[in-house]
Amino acid sequence: MAEPVTVSDNKHKSQVNSGASYSGNGRSSAAAAERSSGGSGSSSGAGAAGGGLSGGLTQPAGWQSLLSFTILFLAWLAGFSSRLFAVIRFESIIHEFDPWFNYRSTHYLSSNGFYEFLNWFDERAWYPLGRIVGGTVYPGLMVTAGLIHYVLNLLHITVHIRDVCVFLAPVFSGLTSISTFLLTRELWNQGAGLLAACFIAIVPGYISRSVAGSFDNEGIAIFALQFTFYLWVKSVKSGSVFWAIGCCLSYFYMVSAWGGYVFIINLIPLHVFVLLLMQRFSRRVYIAYSTFFIIGLVLSMQVPFVGFQPIRTSEHMAAAGVFVLLQVYAFLQYLKDRLTRQEFQTLFFLGVSLAAGVVFLSVIYLTYTGYIAPWSGRFYSLWDTAYAKIHIPIIASVSEHQPTTWVSFFFDLHILVCTFPAGLWFCIKNINDERVFVALYAISAVYFAGVMVRLMLTLTPVVCMLSAVAFSCVFEHYLGDDMKRQSPPAEDSSDEDDRKNAGNLYDKAGKVRKHVSEQEKAEEGLGPNVKSIVTMLMLMLLMMFAVHCTWVTSNAYSSPSVVLASYNHDGSRNILDDFREAYYWLRQNTEEHARVMSWWDYGYQIAGMANRTTLVDNNTWNNSHIALVGKAMSSNETAAYDIMRSLDVDYVLIIFGGVIGYSGDDINKFLWMVRIAEGEHPRDIRESDYFTPQGEFRVDKAGSPTLLNCLMYKMSYYRFGEMQLDFRTPPGFDRTRNAEIGNKDIKLKHLEEAFTSEHWLVRIYKVKKQENRDRVEHKLRSSNANKQKYTSKKTSKRKRGYIRNKLSLKKGKKLQKKFL
Amino acid sequence: MTLLSEKVTQMMEWTSKRSVIRMNGDKFRRFVKAPPRNYSVVIMFTALQPQRQCGVCRQADEEFQVLANSWRYSSAFTNKVFFASVDFDEGSDVFQMLNMNSAPTFLHFPSKGKPRRSDTYELQVRGFAAEQLARWVADRTDVQIRVIRPPNYAGPLLLGFLLAVIGGLAYLRRNNLEFLFNKNCWAFSALCFVLIMTSGQMWNHIRGPPYAHKNPSTGQVSYIHGSSQAQFVAETHIVLLFNAAVTMGIVLLCEAATSDIDIGKRKIMCVAGMVLVMLFFSWLLSIFRAKYHGYPYSFLIN
Repeated sequence: MAEPVTVSDNKHKSQVNSGASYSGNGRSSAAAAERSSGGSGSSSGAGAAGGGLSGGLTQPAGWQSLLSFTILFLAWLAGFSSRLFAVIRFESIIHEFDPWFNYRSTHYLSSNGFYEFLNWFDERAWYPLGRIVGGTVYPGLMVTAGLIHYVLNLLHITVHIRDVCVFLAPVFSGLTSISTFLLTRELWNQGAGLLAACFIAIVPGYISRSVAGSFDNEGIAIFALQFTFYLWVKSVKSGSVFWAIGCCLSYFYMVSAWGGYVFIINLIPLHVFVLLLMQRFSRRVYIAYSTFFIIGLVLSMQVPFVGFQPIRTSEHMAAAGVFVLLQVYAFLQYLKDRLTRQEFQTLFFLGVSLAAGVVFLSVIYLTYTGYIAPWSGRFYSLWDTAYAKIHIPIIASVSEHQPTTWVSFFFDLHILVCTFPAGLWFCIKNINDERVFVALYAISAVYFAGVMVRLMLTLTPVVCMLSAVAFSCVFEHYLGDDMKRQSPPAEDSSDEDDRKNAGNLYDKAGKVRKHVSEQEKAEEGLGPNVKSIVTMLMLMLLMMFAVHCTWVTSNAYSSPSVVLASYNHDGSRNILDDFREAYYWLRQNTEEHARVMSWWDYGYQIAGMANRTTLVDNNTWNNSHIALVGKAMSSNETAAYDIMRSLDVDYVLIIFGGVIGYSGDDINKFLWMVRIAEGEHPRDIRESDYFTPQGEFRVDKAGSPTLLNCLMYKMSYYRFGEMQLDFRTPPGFDRTRNAEIGNKDIKLKHLEEAFTSEHWLVRIYKVKKQENRDRVEHKLRSSNANKQKYTSKKTSKRKRGYIRNKLSLKKGKKLQKKFL
Repeated sequence: MTLLSEKVTQMMEWTSKRSVIRMNGDKFRRFVKAPPRNYSVVIMFTALQPQRQCGVCRQADEEFQVLANSWRYSSAFTNKVFFASVDFDEGSDVFQMLNMNSAPTFLHFPSKGKPRRSDTYELQVRGFAAEQLARWVADRTDVQIRVIRPPNYAGPLLLGFLLAVIGGLAYLRRNNLEFLFNKNCWAFSALCFVLIMTSGQMWNHIRGPPYAHKNPSTGQVSYIHGSSQAQFVAETHIVLLFNAAVTMGIVLLCEAATSDIDIGKRKIMCVAGMVLVMLFFSWLLSIFRAKYHGYPYSFLIN
């Protein structure tokens, strides 16, 4: 079923891409217009080239906007449809972990209303602490999805809220590509914008976070990010309060959607600061930044989760500092008109350095006295790259917080990672105010992406934009030959017509002398053969990019990870639906307020799918609570039972992949539980105890006895020793770790197995209640005094008979009284 | 009883002089081995003499000094725990007595009873960072030591020096500051930074992989790590060069079309750019394919 879809997707993509590259000549007209207008870099799209001619398809402007519109539409369509692999292969389902929480809260929002949602105290999470959801989430995502659901229902299009959530990210990817188009158009020209829009529609670095079902903040936040940047560039270029206010509103949306807004609030001040250093200060910058800072600050503080952070944490101080600096600078500029040159110079240096010093010192002072919170761990680990590894295991444990290898750069960006430095080169060579911005954006984002895999997401848009600049530069010169047209690389014929038409029409409109001369020169230089070869090769690269993107999306990023699939040798597919099976079992067979203990990864899923109370979840705000769970998992059963009883645990849920060879199970995560537990309870848990003396982590006979007797091990391998999976392997052979387990005879005392899913992926244990009477473990003490060997009492003297096991009557009280 | 208090006073006196007491055989027997003792002693057995050529000992000694100093000058300082060291060249008899043949070794002598297995610090597993040592000491003796490192002035000093040099140079060349406005210079450094990051140097910095791997049995050196989860330093350098080559190819293609130099050169530039892009990109793709198993696509080079 998936096959035909893949094919059609491919086709879509390659069409869109080639369409974009065809538009090269359409673009060159815009570029020409730009050049003729003195290179101010402000070709405002199709209109500029048209030169205010009245519309209709006979005019180039009309063709251009039709073409841009078509390409953007196709980009949206391609982006949307390539994100649907998971839905088509499986079903319309929410993916992974965090999206389950988002879905649950969106569901709450849509059924209870916005104010209820803001006041929502979730007693099902972090038992016994609970969680104030309204004050601890970025509500943008839920509000967006809820709003769409509400509007659709108003129009009597009755969709389930789940479907809105599933398809939200793919829809927003189209908006992202449009805002990328707008931003790139501001930075370079329209053709580059179209290329960038196509790139970002299908680039895996962004798809990884926005496939259908991945209902997460990032899905909408990248749109907000790009749109905010577009409006910022627009307001710097125009210096109008209108655009600056628009920028603030978009920023507000971003703040309400994702914690990554900190990137914006540091990047924009950095831009202003660098502009000041480059002596590119202007009224436009002053107006834009002053408006943005004040309104943006006030708006961002309206989000309950953010609250007073913008004025109280170090992450936001750079913005305030630059604001003060900008005011001082502007004031000095004002004084410049009133003073002599000599006076001014002294005053200028004195004033600027004094202001900088005062700002810096006051920030340090306030941090020191505690008015401003220092950098939080997650941000700090971005600068001091060894910090998290030593101090915060819970940050270091998350796989997406690892540094990035070159393979993942290439995997996520393919050709773009090689070409975007070229785009950066062109931008810096032809610098202006907004290109300073994109250069800073690229440099800072590439640093962050290098430190954390997860931040590849913020790098992706700028890579798309700069690569589009590079490609557009090449195409501009190698496709721009209009007089002698090379035979176009074979593709769809209608596209070709478009192209020719656009090109011819452009010839009529393009009456700029300079451009014509340039064209001649180019023609005399590089013959049509060379040009066509270059063009073909570039198109080839783009085609490979499109194919790569589809392959990556289909193979790497389209697994819901709630439902697993395995393929047989003949290509047929097995669906492993163990997670939902187990969660549904919990939902149906346990008491409504039962408390389920699991490792934090599964907290959101349990709450979302099983609707049961959890102890810890993916929010990870309370390290000591997580450490307690980790301690319970890594202690022996008796010690764990004490912890579990103190936490009122009814069920324990673990993930075990040994039967099917699933590598993401709890035994593989186990060392992190130990580490996190050790961080809080160094006396009871020691990481070294779980290793063999040679420092290995093994589950077989050679493994450390502490490991073989800890709760997690026992629960994972309970009765596993009786199971022979294969005739070639001994019973109790763990497929994930390729080892025969070391402890096959596992007895559980305080727990009993309640449920094990079909492929043993999820195992649920019930924590027994305490016995009414403590059973005595050991045998009753027997003293030798009473014990005597049986000797026949039939002696010669006593010849009486003897009945063995004769009941002996004891005289007691009457019992009737008790019953009365 | 008097003997005990005398010993404690003696130990306190030494500690006030040097936070790590240096011991020889006699002192060791008297103050650590001999019975009346109500204090724990953490001893580092080491070989610091230059002729022993023990580089690790020196580093371990520094960390141990940091730990001992943190304890000595902390407000919680008591006479329950002492830090001492025995050098091989001063107390080789102690080494023999304890049947010890490697240095450095950290041993804890508890106030009661004999040292057990866990009183030997697992140097191989835990490393000799002062923080790890402090955790071990806390574990063994119930004394929490907050490690306070003497602030490292080297970094800021170096930075200040560098800034001063740059400032000085700028001042000397104050009439000739065009290089600051040279776009090529800035663009080049930005490109360098970007290429360094995209080739995974940050990963190398954090994880510290080997430069290349030499197969011990065949002696073959492999520069490319077989898995997509890891990389060698050599590999990242190769990737950096390839990325740079593709970038340069694109720039050359553009330059060939726009610059004013004569046609022949421009044609050469154009072809060179094309070759650079194609060759190095397909090469990069083939390396990627070798690392990412199951990746189906390749171009020119398999």
